[in-house]
Amino acid sequence: MLSARFCWRNASRSCQVYRNSHSIPQQLNSIVHDGRTEPGKSTDAPGSLSGKTVAVKDNIVTKDLPTTAASRILTGYVSSFDATVVQLLRQHGAIISAKTNLDEFGMGSHSQHSHAGAVLSPFSRGGVPLSPGGSSGGSAVAVATGQCWAALGTDTGGSVRLPAAYTGIVGFKPSYGLVSRRGVIQYANSLDTQDPTSLSATVRERLGHKGADAKRLRIGVPIEYNIDELSPVVRATYLRTLKALQNAGHILQPVSLPTTQQALSAYYVLAPAEASSNLAKYDGIRYGYRTPGSDASPKNNSPLYASTRGEGFGEEVQRRILLGAYTLSSEAIDNYFIQAQKVRRLVQRDFDKVFAQPNPLLDRQTGAHGDDGGVEVLLTPTAPTLPPTIEEVKQQSPVESYMNDVFTVPASLAGLPAISVPVRINGKEADGLEGTDVHDVGMQLVGQFGNDELVLQAAEVVVQSLTSS
Amino acid sequence: MHSSTLRTAPIHLTRTLQHPSFTTARSLRPCIVAKWLQSRRLTTASPRTQEVIPLRKHLKDEAKRKKAEVKRDGNVLSTKQTSDSRLDKWELTVGIEIHAELNTACKLFSSAPAEVSVGDDGGSANSRVAAFDAALPGTQPQFQIATLLPALRAAIALECEVQRKSGWDRKHYFHWDQPNGYQITQYYRPFAKDGSLTLGAFDGVPAEDLNGAESITIGIKQIQMEQDTAKTMNVGSSTYHVDLNRAGMPLIEVITLPHIHSPQTAAAVVRKIQAVLKGVDACVTGMELGGLRADVNVSVRQRGTSGTGSSYSGVSGLGQRTEIKNLSSFKAVEDAIVAERDRQISVLEAGGVIEGETRGWTLGATETTRLRGKEGEVDYRYMPDADLPPLVIGSDLVKHLKTTMPMLPDAVEQDLEEWHGLSRKDAKTLNEQDNGDRVEFFERTASFLLAEVGTFKSEVSTGKERRKTGKLVGNWVLHELGGLLATHQRSWDDVRVTADELKDILVCLHKNQITARAAKQILAELVQRQPAPKGPYWPSMDTRPSVEQLIDAGNLRLRPLSEHEYEKLAKQIMDASPEMVKAVREKGQKGKVMWFVGQMVRQGEEGTVEPEKAKVVIERLMDG
Repeated sequence: MLSARFCWRNASRSCQVYRNSHSIPQQLNSIVHDGRTEPGKSTDAPGSLSGKTVAVKDNIVTKDLPTTAASRILTGYVSSFDATVVQLLRQHGAIISAKTNLDEFGMGSHSQHSHAGAVLSPFSRGGVPLSPGGSSGGSAVAVATGQCWAALGTDTGGSVRLPAAYTGIVGFKPSYGLVSRRGVIQYANSLDTQDPTSLSATVRERLGHKGADAKRLRIGVPIEYNIDELSPVVRATYLRTLKALQNAGHILQPVSLPTTQQALSAYYVLAPAEASSNLAKYDGIRYGYRTPGSDASPKNNSPLYASTRGEGFGEEVQRRILLGAYTLSSEAIDNYFIQAQKVRRLVQRDFDKVFAQPNPLLDRQTGAHGDDGGVEVLLTPTAPTLPPTIEEVKQQSPVESYMNDVFTVPASLAGLPAISVPVRINGKEADGLEGTDVHDVGMQLVGQFGNDELVLQAAEVVVQSLTSS
Repeated sequence: MHSSTLRTAPIHLTRTLQHPSFTTARSLRPCIVAKWLQSRRLTTASPRTQEVIPLRKHLKDEAKRKKAEVKRDGNVLSTKQTSDSRLDKWELTVGIEIHAELNTACKLFSSAPAEVSVGDDGGSANSRVAAFDAALPGTQPQFQIATLLPALRAAIALECEVQRKSGWDRKHYFHWDQPNGYQITQYYRPFAKDGSLTLGAFDGVPAEDLNGAESITIGIKQIQMEQDTAKTMNVGSSTYHVDLNRAGMPLIEVITLPHIHSPQTAAAVVRKIQAVLKGVDACVTGMELGGLRADVNVSVRQRGTSGTGSSYSGVSGLGQRTEIKNLSSFKAVEDAIVAERDRQISVLEAGGVIEGETRGWTLGATETTRLRGKEGEVDYRYMPDADLPPLVIGSDLVKHLKTTMPMLPDAVEQDLEEWHGLSRKDAKTLNEQDNGDRVEFFERTASFLLAEVGTFKSEVSTGKERRKTGKLVGNWVLHELGGLLATHQRSWDDVRVTADELKDILVCLHKNQITARAAKQILAELVQRQPAPKGPYWPSMDTRPSVEQLIDAGNLRLRPLSEHEYEKLAKQIMDASPEMVKAVREKGQKGKVMWFVGQMVRQGEEGTVEPEKAKVVIERLMDG
């Protein structure tokens, strides 16, 4: 979920900046289907969200608007059912105002790989638009420019948090499994979310106990996140945030997450592997795009559906399907997929070792039992740098663009709740920044599995500490 | 040597010609796409037009074939003998994988119904499809716990160890009959392992395989649950329609160890597994109705050697194996193995090497055909399905099912044999027919009859009486009633005769009130008549007559002749046929006596001559 709620002041300022420099939001290409123009729409349903407009990422199915996941292969597809999250929003009175643009099937970090065209950030540097982040870039831009009250995104490896950081808004990824995934078009289903009812009773029971005191948080600072690539402005903002928290009476504690370095590689083995499987259903037979003419050529020994899938999927999606098909193949699976699963387990263990609270998913007791007692949340930057311009993105190799997810992927692999909150760039830190550039740095808070509420509280603490300092 | 193959082929062809729509609805036409798919072994739609061969017929055909082989073996140059001598040198090893559709109310991962419901529009195509079955974006599988029950019954019946924790993997390959692009299966983490199946001579295991023992035991490696595929229908020359009603239906796959060493035993294993699955109500339809499909793994090795040193699941010292896929009848299983065994031996004897490959077999063929080698193998890219949690089965559930299991076919047959005095062959035939309805009919008739005619003097005499009446009832239910149904081309559902009526007939026969001939006549009459009307309140002209009424109406009651009358009738016939008398008296052709008995029964008034007595009289007169 992307929202400007926690930082309304910042967001409105951002909008101001945006409104001064641009005049037509359509140019940013954040929306693929506008729901407000649809006739017969009830605008005043009762409920706690009554009248609030919510934009929905276009990989979440809706009955009344097409759902394409920004892919040609889903051309014209309209779902026969609403995703559970959409149902719930409607039940509480929200208006689904639009379907937002994204990286095709959620595969990308800059929202540039879309069949509906690239998404542009409202911010720019040297006249070139910045990357809005991805894959939920459309949702982030819609929120940042005030096109909706809030927007839904999906977060597989950072797809909500990164765009939030790049556009100066709040982005929250819940624990894996707490929000229903029914109706979310799958990319890497072990990294997305899943229906909470499928969690066992014991896990839910354990989730019931939350003993943290948001007034005096023990905040972990992972030493492995202090990498060379961290840009000066991000590092300065990060340090200032940490100081402000310390001044407000919270306890900072250095922690070690040694598997962080391997996490990104593991993620880019696992996610494409699952993608190659999840996207196997798009064959042009039952719905969506289909190649004109025959779709199998026995003469050329071309495989079934090669034409439909070759024409229907974009370049990045094809790259990941191929990657995934390879890492799952019988000669490669042991060296890639299996190894990556092991790394994933180690990443989870890293987190379990530093958090004070045991992981409710595991039967054996985990948690930090050392002298320091463990931490309640971790604070890291969301991304190592400010957003690149879209021109810079074009120069990047695929692997370079994957680097953007280095801070967000570990929480995804462990299924942990995480939030990105914008921290305003101050005084000297802003030296050399153009007025049109983004003036916020995303700070990420990560909590133990199931501690979603604590993570949200901690985000407010961060905002308050910075306001009062 | 494939006389039986030749026998079935024309029937198959005639059917194809008579019901073109029948075949086209089930198998792909060899158009270019289909050919290409078959070459990659991507067609999973199996040919479903296999004739149903009842066990009795199967056994008869087998006996005939063996006789013919024995005859031919007299010929020194017979091919049979050369092949026999080759079998002295080479030993066959076979393992089988059997797929069977579970008897459930819904699909494996969706609540879509598995069966056509009452009042439904006849189960039209794509009428039983949930969003997940059609692989709509954003849908997820939800394991339907009820499907586990028949699967567990199968596992218990095949003496498997039910695994506390099993899991689901995705097996990927592209085909239109598989909407998600993968099949969800338990191949790597099955719910049941390490079972066994015991077979004896009456299951069709040849004496050579038994090697003097009463039975052999075939190991079951594992049983796994998995999804079925959609049905493809060919419309016109190059159009296919896909019916997703079958997509996602629950299957089990039973995998045996390579413990099988003859084609006959392989067929017997498939037959027995089918009988067991049906017997415990795990599966609905049998192999020859398309509910069962088998893949066989075949290898040969020189006797006394360890082959190429290949091994499978702990069984080592085997030759290189090949796999023959998609066999959908017992006959196909047996014939395909014979052909593949002979091919492998020929290749090896010519100094060649067996390739690990997948081969195909069509009914009536004499050779298996290569479908793809190792290099052409589909890499299924197995991967755990992250949408499904592991399947955890509690031991309490297994325990409960064990105590409520229906009797296994072997136990039923043993009961028929030991308690009711039937031969094992008759017991088996009775048990395998009409989904157990005929056994039930038999048991009711037998107990009614015993209740009326039994003397119950002692335990021993009761046992004797029970076996005697059992044998009598067995004969009548199986042969007399069976023969009448065959004559009138009726199914068991339309048998019309009740157990009470058959009991009444047999009581009269047992008490010598009617002759066997008369009894048959009454039975035939009752089979023809309309069944009794349901309501007892409106007796009409059509009211079904009782056995007593039929006996009286037909004047069939036995009026025993006196000794004198028997002699008179016998002399009359002997005088009319001096040649026959001469044959018996002078040439000693004792068999001709029965001709006289027949004449007496025929010429005597209906219901007066008992063959046993007539025989005694004739023999006495001949001697005298």
